[in-house]
Amino acid sequence: MISIEIDGKQIEVEEETTILNAANALDIKIPTLCYNELIEPYAVCRICVVEVIRRKRTRLVTACNYPLRESVKVRTNSERVLKLRRMNLELLMARAPAAKIIQEMAAEMGLETTRFPIENPKESCILCGLCVQMCQDVVGAYAIGFADRGSKREVSTPYERTPETCILCGACAQVCPTGHIRMTDAEERIIHSKLSLGPNAAITIPFRQAIPNVPRIHAEHCIHFKTGECMLCSKVCPKDCIHYDDKDEIEEFEIGAVIVATGFDDFDPTPMKQLGYGRYPNILTGAEFEQMNNAGSPTGGKIVMENGEEPRSVAILHCIGSRDENYHKYCSRVCCMYALKFAHLVKEKSNAEVYQLYVDMRAFGKGYEEFYQRILDEGVNVIRGKGTEIVPNRSGAGDGALLVRCEDTLIGKFREIPVDMVVLCSALEARSDATDLARKLNISAGADGWFIESHPKLGPVSTTTEGIYLAGVCQGPKDIPDTVAQGSAAAAQAMKMLAQGQILMDAAYAEIAEEFCSGCRICNGLCPYNAISFDETKKVSNVNSAMCKACGTCVAACPTGAIAARHFTDEQIYAQIEGILV
Amino acid sequence: MKPYRANVMVCAGTGCVSNHSLEIKKAFEEEIQKRGLADEVQVVTTGCNGFCGAGPIAVVQPDGIFYQLLKIKDIPYLVEEHLLKGRPVPRLMYVPPEEKIHIPKMNDIAFFKGQMLVALRNRGMIDPENIDDYIARDGYRASAKVLTTMTPDEVIQMIEASGLRGRGGGGFPTGVKWESCRKAKGEPRYVICNADEGDPGAFMDRSIIEGDPHSVLEGMVIGAFAVGSSEGYIYVRQEYPLARERLVIAINQAREYGLLGDDIFGTGFKFDVDIRRGAGAFVCGESTALMASVEGRVGEPRAKYIHTVEHGLWNKPTCLNNVETWATIPAIIMRGVDWFTSIGTGDVSENPWGGSKGTKVFSVAGKINNTGLVEVPMGITLREIIFDVGGGVPKGKKFKAVQTGGPSGGFLAAELLDLQVDYEQLTEAGSMMGSGGMVIMDEDNCMVDMAKYFLTFTQDESCGKCAPCREGTLRMLQILQRITDGKGTEEDLVLLEDLSHYVIDSSLCALGGSAPNPVLTTLRYFREEYEVHIRDKKCPARVCRQLNVYTIDPNLCVTKGHGCGVCRAQCPEKAIVGEKNKAHSVIQDACKKCGVCYDVCKFDAIQIS
Repeated sequence: MISIEIDGKQIEVEEETTILNAANALDIKIPTLCYNELIEPYAVCRICVVEVIRRKRTRLVTACNYPLRESVKVRTNSERVLKLRRMNLELLMARAPAAKIIQEMAAEMGLETTRFPIENPKESCILCGLCVQMCQDVVGAYAIGFADRGSKREVSTPYERTPETCILCGACAQVCPTGHIRMTDAEERIIHSKLSLGPNAAITIPFRQAIPNVPRIHAEHCIHFKTGECMLCSKVCPKDCIHYDDKDEIEEFEIGAVIVATGFDDFDPTPMKQLGYGRYPNILTGAEFEQMNNAGSPTGGKIVMENGEEPRSVAILHCIGSRDENYHKYCSRVCCMYALKFAHLVKEKSNAEVYQLYVDMRAFGKGYEEFYQRILDEGVNVIRGKGTEIVPNRSGAGDGALLVRCEDTLIGKFREIPVDMVVLCSALEARSDATDLARKLNISAGADGWFIESHPKLGPVSTTTEGIYLAGVCQGPKDIPDTVAQGSAAAAQAMKMLAQGQILMDAAYAEIAEEFCSGCRICNGLCPYNAISFDETKKVSNVNSAMCKACGTCVAACPTGAIAARHFTDEQIYAQIEGILV
Repeated sequence: MKPYRANVMVCAGTGCVSNHSLEIKKAFEEEIQKRGLADEVQVVTTGCNGFCGAGPIAVVQPDGIFYQLLKIKDIPYLVEEHLLKGRPVPRLMYVPPEEKIHIPKMNDIAFFKGQMLVALRNRGMIDPENIDDYIARDGYRASAKVLTTMTPDEVIQMIEASGLRGRGGGGFPTGVKWESCRKAKGEPRYVICNADEGDPGAFMDRSIIEGDPHSVLEGMVIGAFAVGSSEGYIYVRQEYPLARERLVIAINQAREYGLLGDDIFGTGFKFDVDIRRGAGAFVCGESTALMASVEGRVGEPRAKYIHTVEHGLWNKPTCLNNVETWATIPAIIMRGVDWFTSIGTGDVSENPWGGSKGTKVFSVAGKINNTGLVEVPMGITLREIIFDVGGGVPKGKKFKAVQTGGPSGGFLAAELLDLQVDYEQLTEAGSMMGSGGMVIMDEDNCMVDMAKYFLTFTQDESCGKCAPCREGTLRMLQILQRITDGKGTEEDLVLLEDLSHYVIDSSLCALGGSAPNPVLTTLRYFREEYEVHIRDKKCPARVCRQLNVYTIDPNLCVTKGHGCGVCRAQCPEKAIVGEKNKAHSVIQDACKKCGVCYDVCKFDAIQIS
């Protein structure tokens, strides 16, 4: 440790500490332009020049990279230092008149104008080199660099062409102190379909209430996975939590019961070309609209269009993909009520006009009908009729850039409603891999992909397979209260079974006589309950008696007659026949 | 080696070669063959003789008869008279401007008399492409002595005691540098020879390498042994193809003789040298930029708060010295500390910065009679260099200033002629030793224009990495341009001074840190000239063309030139009118003051007022 005096204040610092860090510890502000704590000091803006007094000799050094090695005095605001700083700012003002940070710093130093001629009033690059260092040393992409030398020096891409090595990480724009570098495609524009701002951050917490609520790295955006460099996150993480080599792992558990709660997929309205989703701006699905309304969203919970403005009118279209011969015939059950909630949110958060386009209003639950009434009282325009087409409003008439076409069945007229934003209440649909899962678990799925319970009235949570239960939308569309109820029921069923510690088996099940089994494996594929496995060492098939339902399929199929159903052996059957006949 | 009766030493330095000295050598050889003297007389091409202004040069040894300004047609006569009949040829000898008497012997010529050759000890005496010549002149004895009888510490102590300081310009004590490099942690260590001589008008390093490349290699071997290195680099600028070629030859010869390589002198000491070519950036002469360039990165300097002796090339301890420093090392080893410290100023026994010891090579150019390369003891006065060795200013013009240290140095006025040349005194006067360029100016030079010239150079060569050098020198140059265009104001001078101090104080490397020196010294010694430019809109030396008014003397135009009309034809602005055989005149409103008419008129009819 060495003791340093900065502007009359004493501090003890480790050797090799820079003056800038020592001054920061003392709350003494030394201005910087080309310094970024994540990047090795480049020390070229020279704005942080300070006086170091050592054995009565005064030296001018840059605070950002001067390593303290012995007891010295530092002066950060002597007349000489301030004079140099003023001259520096005056020169930078002449070079980059459009750089705001320079104007602010100059104003702080009492400088209003520069005495030097301004060649380019729009210039804002001060050649601090942060972007180049970032791109080369941190990102490792080498997409930008300095071209030419001296006063002709400029930041440029190789041969001034779009560089192939640029990975569009945006790090250069991020560190630019004057805003000279900008991402052209992402100027504060809200990309609704992704609901993110600007370039995608490679580390995100998916949303505020995410579980587990921890950040994760998206390899497709992460610089490290593209160039092998960067690793800034691990540098700044004080707890060494960043692991670049983490991968998905498959773990195996021994379990006694399974509750299937795999939920649903959101219906993608893109194939419904007439609705223009994905083609025209400001057409959102219900889930996207919900995410935008979340306080943790990039819009901060505000309802805004892609250009950042508030919509003048919003249309909410029901039954998108539900109750539709072409997509899903069933009713998704939740849309009516969430659509009403959206209408309420729009009314609450903005002055926009709201149109509800419904087919049938299904406000069936407790308090639902009252909520519907409240919406009507709030002045929401409720139109009975399915929204059939959305097109851009080319005439510009009315309060909206889009036109929603529908047939108002109550007045029996065809209508075109101009709106700025459309929310599509898309259907709930079974997960795309539901049938795969059903096969794995040996349970059944219906034509729509929803899992089938063992009995529609008496067994609403259990399945045909013992120990496997259903909860939530995977069994069929339902709202949150219903889901919670079914989940609780499934848990109770599972607990009941686990609490017994053993299960009562049926006395009847199939058995294979090993000495007769030829190992043909015909039975393996036939078993509808996956109860038969093949023993590779003995080359014979085995029946898992706990899984066998004694259906007899394998017994009938076995070419050697090695399989017998307990209590239903051939001898027993023959004996029974004989008993009847005699 | 076969003894010869006489040796004709033909200078093959760059200056003489461009004046056809190689053809002259051929002519000598043919003539000698023709006269049947081939067994008696040998023709040798040597490195730069130093007296470049008198080239092409040939010296006949062992008599030391100096022939200058040779032409091919002189050779048959010279060979017949001197080599055959033994009668030296006076008309090809040097004649001092003031005395009109031929001086036959080289060592009697004032230019050579005042010199003391240490780094240039073999100049004109050996064939640089022949290692035997170098060995015959005691070459590689110093490295043999060091490797076989001395320890690295003894070598460092010796160099430290000699008071040798870096000849590249900074004047850092060489021994101190070697010691810190030896002590620095890290392996491997590197030694580098900086031969990126970029100052305008400087050609010391080039001459040493072209004339005596082995002296540099030998110095590097000694340095490598002292700091514990086995790998060295010589960074030669691209513009020195001959130097590079001779270095390659020298390195190969030294390797062949076991003087470089795995087992030097059979001692087991290993050291080899590789050449790296610079690409023409002046800033690459700065040590950190040079190392970046050797590493293959962009040649830009970095802050030297962490010294290169600790973290230099590839972040390893690195000992970098200039060509002249390396070439001086063997001489110190052989002739001893006492001899070396007896030359020069000050006392280095206590403080290595206490004085300037030994000799320094200067390239003397500009308005001087004896243009060339001189090596003089430290402490010699400027007057002795310029008027005794250099032979004074030509055409009887008045000496005005001398610029030392290249674009980083400063201008010294006539009142400082008795200044002793050493590191401290030059720095105190606002200039610096630099690498040794010396440009002499007479009354026809405009100091504002000269300051502008050097600043144009540094401004153009600035790498642009740090703001003060990039922006500051640009604005300084703009102000100087304004002044020489007659648009300067009094405030400009204040701003110019402020900017100069700012650039010196805040720049990242020594290029920016010394770039304003030419401006500051001219402001210090020739402020009056700036004021005349600003106040009276006049250039006293008539150099700044925008301040000149061109007129035509009708009398001279008609009587001497017969209205030749060359000026009218050449004037790009069509500002000159006149007819053949009649006096021409300049339309002042149309004149853009380019000065072309003044340059093309052979009859001095164009006048500047």
